[in-house]
Amino acid sequence: MMLHLLNRSPQFDGLYWDLSEAFGADDHLLLIEDACYAALPAAAASLAAFGGRVSVLSEDAESRGLLGRLSDDVALVDMAGFVALTATFPHSLSWF
Amino acid sequence: MLSYALLVHAAPYSEQGALSALRFAQAAVAQGHRVSSVFFYRDGVHNASTLMAPPQDEVHLAEGWRALAQEHGTELLVCIAASLRRGLMNAEEGVRHGREAHNLEPPFVLTGLGQLVDAMQANDRVITFAP
Repeated sequence: MMLHLLNRSPQFDGLYWDLSEAFGADDHLLLIEDACYAALPAAAASLAAFGGRVSVLSEDAESRGLLGRLSDDVALVDMAGFVALTATFPHSLSWF
Repeated sequence: MLSYALLVHAAPYSEQGALSALRFAQAAVAQGHRVSSVFFYRDGVHNASTLMAPPQDEVHLAEGWRALAQEHGTELLVCIAASLRRGLMNAEEGVRHGREAHNLEPPFVLTGLGQLVDAMQANDRVITFAP
């Protein structure tokens, strides 16, 4: 069980590909910072490999004007939820 | 309650990672977790500058880190090799390198990667904040 933390926009498609190759069946992906753009419906292809096990940090999405425009498949979590995810998953891996 | 170590690669203000790390640390202690240490590495060492002086209406990252140390006992560990390369040094290193000034003071502590390894082994969670 791994929590993957991603802070790069979908423009870094090679990074998303590498992450998808390492993404396990019990893993979860949290989009933070510029990775919030991956939660837009137009970028759905960049998250297709993660089986809906994806969350996005709400304050980073809000600061980019993305709230209300995000895909329904991506769960919104606040900073407390970010902490809670790190408590749930024993390991985390930051991609950059 | 879990114990956390944070690893901060991100420079202050030029990247969001340092602010993300500080906000995470504040949220973690608010939930009753312990943030035992923050290790600043690569450009992240600039978070430790005593001379940081952002506009008053912006988040003061160095003050945020200092408050975390003072209020919650968090160790603020700064990679010495990354710091010296970037012109960041405490009084002791200033003397050693023949400089007339220094720009790193407690609670920030210059240390080595061994301390990072110790933090990784001693804590329940290690969270990396990327540049």
